[in-house]
Amino acid sequence: MSSFFESVFEFLFKYRPLVFEKGRLAFTTPWPVFVVFLALALVVLLALISYGRARSGNRRDIVIFSSLRVGALALLLFSLSRPALLVPTVVPQRNFLGILIDDSRSMGISDQDERPRSDFVYQSFGSADSVLYAALAERFMLRFYGFSGRAERIDGVSDLRFAGGRTDLAAALDRARRDLAAVPVAGLVVLTDGADNSDASLTESLLALNANSIPVYAVGLGRERYDRDIEINRVETPRTVLLGSSLVVDLTVRQRGYKGETVQVTVEEGARIIAAQDVRLPADGESAVVRVHFDAEEPGPRIYRFSIAPQPGERVTKNNSQEVLIVVEDRREKILYFEGEPRFELKFIRRAVSDDENLQVVSLQRTAENKFYRLDVDDAEELAGGFPRTREELFRYRGLILGSVEASFFTHDQLRMIEEFVGQRGGGVLFLGGRRSFAEGGYDGTPVAAVMPVVLESPEAIGGRRGRGEEPFFAELKVEPTRFGLNHPATQIGATVEESGRLWAELPRVSSVNPIYEVKPGASTLLSGRAEGSTDEHIVLAYQRYGRGKALALPIQDSWIWQMHADVPLDDMTHETLWRQLLRWLVAYVPDPVVAEAASDLANPGEPVPLTAEVQDETYLKVNNAEVVAHVSGPAGETYDLPMEWALEEDGEYQASVTGDAEGLYEIRVEAHKEGEFLGEHTTYFQATELTTEYFDSEMRSELLKRIADETGGRFYTARTVRSLPEDVSFTESGTTVIEERDLWDMPIILLLVLALIATEWGYRRYRGLV
Amino acid sequence: MRSILLLLALAAAIPVSAQSLFRKEPDYAQFNTSYDGRFTFVRVRFRPLPGFGGGGGYWRDRDLKWDHDYPTAERHLTRILDELTTLGPKTEESNILMVDDPEFFNYPVAYLCEPGFWDLNEAEAASLREYLLKGGFLIFDDFAGPHIFNFRERIRQVLPGAALVELDVSHPIFDSFFKIESLDHDHPYYGVKAKYYGIFEDNDPEKRLMMIINYNNDIGDYWEWSDAGFIPISLSNEAYKLGVNYIVYAMSH
Repeated sequence: MSSFFESVFEFLFKYRPLVFEKGRLAFTTPWPVFVVFLALALVVLLALISYGRARSGNRRDIVIFSSLRVGALALLLFSLSRPALLVPTVVPQRNFLGILIDDSRSMGISDQDERPRSDFVYQSFGSADSVLYAALAERFMLRFYGFSGRAERIDGVSDLRFAGGRTDLAAALDRARRDLAAVPVAGLVVLTDGADNSDASLTESLLALNANSIPVYAVGLGRERYDRDIEINRVETPRTVLLGSSLVVDLTVRQRGYKGETVQVTVEEGARIIAAQDVRLPADGESAVVRVHFDAEEPGPRIYRFSIAPQPGERVTKNNSQEVLIVVEDRREKILYFEGEPRFELKFIRRAVSDDENLQVVSLQRTAENKFYRLDVDDAEELAGGFPRTREELFRYRGLILGSVEASFFTHDQLRMIEEFVGQRGGGVLFLGGRRSFAEGGYDGTPVAAVMPVVLESPEAIGGRRGRGEEPFFAELKVEPTRFGLNHPATQIGATVEESGRLWAELPRVSSVNPIYEVKPGASTLLSGRAEGSTDEHIVLAYQRYGRGKALALPIQDSWIWQMHADVPLDDMTHETLWRQLLRWLVAYVPDPVVAEAASDLANPGEPVPLTAEVQDETYLKVNNAEVVAHVSGPAGETYDLPMEWALEEDGEYQASVTGDAEGLYEIRVEAHKEGEFLGEHTTYFQATELTTEYFDSEMRSELLKRIADETGGRFYTARTVRSLPEDVSFTESGTTVIEERDLWDMPIILLLVLALIATEWGYRRYRGLV
Repeated sequence: MRSILLLLALAAAIPVSAQSLFRKEPDYAQFNTSYDGRFTFVRVRFRPLPGFGGGGGYWRDRDLKWDHDYPTAERHLTRILDELTTLGPKTEESNILMVDDPEFFNYPVAYLCEPGFWDLNEAEAASLREYLLKGGFLIFDDFAGPHIFNFRERIRQVLPGAALVELDVSHPIFDSFFKIESLDHDHPYYGVKAKYYGIFEDNDPEKRLMMIINYNNDIGDYWEWSDAGFIPISLSNEAYKLGVNYIVYAMSH
């Protein structure tokens, strides 16, 4: 409600609307109610009789005069019956009022009448003479809390530093509610910008306040909209990548006041700028997604900084950059490539990744019935019996490529194991096309078909074609990336999207013997292809997540053509690039038996960081009751061990909390044993640093604050409307209250209405010539 | 004396050259099959050096050299491959291609016989160089004695500086399908001991083998006549073993 309307309302009705909201109408006349009604009826009757005898005798005039006179008399009678509002009001100094003040860094932003938001806090509560402080202290016993990431009781605003790295409104409300549980509480006053950046849900906190009838009076500080600001408000990166991988990172840039201007996003690693990307800023309030490419060239935990240089007139510049921690793993990811027949695909895939020190493609080629040719195995025992027959044997690989091999080659257990390799172990599987692949390989109806991201042709359709004597399907396809594929880290084969599109357009046709036109619901197509003169769109590369892992289908039989074809220049690296990217992506984020993860990779110093570890055995079955220890190494070389407890509600999950007191990088190596047997280990990291989280989404969030107020029966204020707060809080039903009677008989509106009715009657008489 | 010998050699060469010059070349494409992804045996066609007649090929009225044992040798080998392996090759069709034919690049394994008579222009040499460096694999067969001089010359044209490395039985190519125990093979006609050479990428035996060279041997002949009865089965077997191993190895390395 606007303050103007409130002022007009208060002038006419004597009190502000809130008083009417909180109060209950009552008549305090000493006469019984029936006497009032009797008097009213008598007045009406007399008026009708009196006007009925009027000289004009015009029926319409009689009705108008009677109505106006009856109205005026009724208003007078209403006043005489002494109407009043019965309003519950706190008993002075008998109730507590919690004053919660946002102590986070965003309170330092100078957008409250061009002064820091915190200035309002000092003005309002800086001393006992402050207007708001005095008005509230007159009625309530005040209890102050400062809050940011956590809430603490304070003696006064002098204890505030406005240096908190996070804002957790839910925690603050919970803390104050619990703290005031044993005393009469009139409500909570929250002074904040509402820039909550915790993951906690407010709903439960608000329900608890509601259950305890504690209204929240929220005072929103700062501007709801900055006039000029640029913010990188989201950066999506993987937490771990393989050394040498090309990273494709999506950033969301939001702006106001710089529409249409071009700015540069830079990526820095240490003091080096490793990538830059121009971005044309979208319309005010809208977001632009920027895709930045760079390579992970140095192993270990690396901090990457994404930033846009501050622009002239920007309100907040600390939200122009974000940092992320990415662990660049320098290890060899082992992939098993099982090929059912000698094929050039095997030769060229092996060759494409042979120089990649982080990929080891172990090949098993069936060269004859029960005869296998092993390549790049680690020792004489590896795959000596052909395709793995146990989960331990298969699950030691992180990726699996299945070439042209028919489903009937495998036992049912092996098919089930392949399904579990993806769904349970979290491995990546790539299905290649070929005459023994997909539907042509009899996979329809097998457990492996469920993993495939594509819809297989039915055996009846294949049988029907054979029955009609048709040649087996064969098509030469011109391949092009879909919109998704053009930008995808696996299929973006050029440095830029444009270059990638051009390179794809130049590649020669490849062939397929597996007619696949449809992906499963939830799967994505990265590459599609068309035969010359045909409108049918073939799926060339599709992807879906399956359980914990990922599944790719590449139903072509000769991607090596992209290397060998006469039109492909000798120095063209497209084939190598594609296969390296594809296989690196295939095994990206494949979990180890023991996986440790810090809840956030960047945290404020002193802020506890939840740590979880998932412990499985070599067959990826969850292990409970294991001895799990986190070995923590701090930036100054200090080390300590932290036992991790099994979270009873989740099989195989262990929890602990680690705090980085000093700024710097913390390494956490989690080791798991069960009955003396080593299950595995995994290392994770987090960086303790002064976060700039507070400067993101830092505009005053009135909607959130209104919700808090509405759901608890309180009110929302801004710095301009807050003067009515002390009186509003007084009309609470919480705490120790009395019912206060507020007269309504002398409301100016009644006098004005009576005068208006009499004036109208007089005017009408003049108009009708009756005076 | 020397002049007389030269004149005699020239006189012997004239009829053969004349034949080659004035006879219209057949359209070899009619003997070829189209690409469908299956393994297809490819025989490299080349212009033979003039003056070295002898015939013995499929087109017996010509002296083509590259056509020796065509098509029986490849038919026999591909049937053996089909019978023994999971390769699933085309058994009734094969290809004859020049090294500068764009179609040649669709078949990363090819067979070239009688390289002692192999002539090559610069464009062909460049194309073959590209084929090999991209990942192609070439099997040389059916040459012996002084033929190696011409062979070396052509290789120098294709890959200047390429070194012939003699392979012994420990090389993985001799264990890719059959475990070949010995390379103590004889040429079917000349009674000389076979030697097996390889040419590696960057002349580094640790790197990819790009060519296998059956010197002082003619395994194509063994393949061709394996059903005729006049060559001992054991010798034909050895030739087939080499052929199968070469193909399986070339398709994975």
